Amino acid sequence: MKRTVALAAIWLVFAGAGLEALVVGLIFVPIAVGLSLRLVPDGIPVRLGAVAGLLPRFIAQSVIGGIDVARRAFDPRLPIDPGWIEVPVALPDGGRVALGGELSLMPGTLAAGSVGNRLLVHVLDRKQDVAAAIRHEEERLWQTTGARRGGASTGGPPKDTEGSR
Amino acid sequence: MPADIVTLVLCGAGLVFFFAGTAGIIRFPDTLTRLHALTKADNVGLGLLITGLAFQAPDWQSVGKLVLIWAMALIAAGTTAQLVARSALQQQDTSQ
Repeated sequence: MKRTVALAAIWLVFAGAGLEALVVGLIFVPIAVGLSLRLVPDGIPVRLGAVAGLLPRFIAQSVIGGIDVARRAFDPRLPIDPGWIEVPVALPDGGRVALGGELSLMPGTLAAGSVGNRLLVHVLDRKQDVAAAIRHEEERLWQTTGARRGGASTGGPPKDTEGSR
Repeated sequence: MPADIVTLVLCGAGLVFFFAGTAGIIRFPDTLTRLHALTKADNVGLGLLITGLAFQAPDWQSVGKLVLIWAMALIAAGTTAQLVARSALQQQDTSQ
């Protein structure tokens, strides 16, 4: 259901609300929803409100990331000190990919897949403390899913889960 | 007219970031560090460009399209950066 609304909204933005556009949308939105359900069969329930809550910090962080890397690129001394760190991440697969994507736009970090449940992160400057930032981001991603994490207790925000379809 | 000035400032700032991303590609030593420059600087550049252009949009649908472009480019950048990084890592492993 959420997917239908989301894809229909995207179609409306693309094609406008003219009669012809609506007719074509009526055919293709259900096809897109079917495809989506087939390719990503109901994964972990995601709270859209919580996802929206991630946005402000993510945008701020990615701007800082851009400024940080731009400064280093322009600096004549080229102040970088690249290296690798491995971070244990307990998120399910989709969440790990989302975290990796986020990290790749945040200051100093670049995800390169994972080995087992440890995320491989390339860092631009080993002096930056990124491990804490990564853990913080993982915690925030947990709060967008209705999934329980193994063992550890999270208070979490008040529940408004309603499944992902 | 004020909208034009906002557009000029934001798009101009965006170009600085694209320039930084390109400088990074040329100056940074290897694939992975270059990826840092490309994804992060270009993402901010695109964000500024899109925001600047939104002030020129004739209607809300055009703003929506601009936001969609930004969101999709963002998702694509985050995902492809990981894929390129992983393949660069694998190549490093086999060449050692």
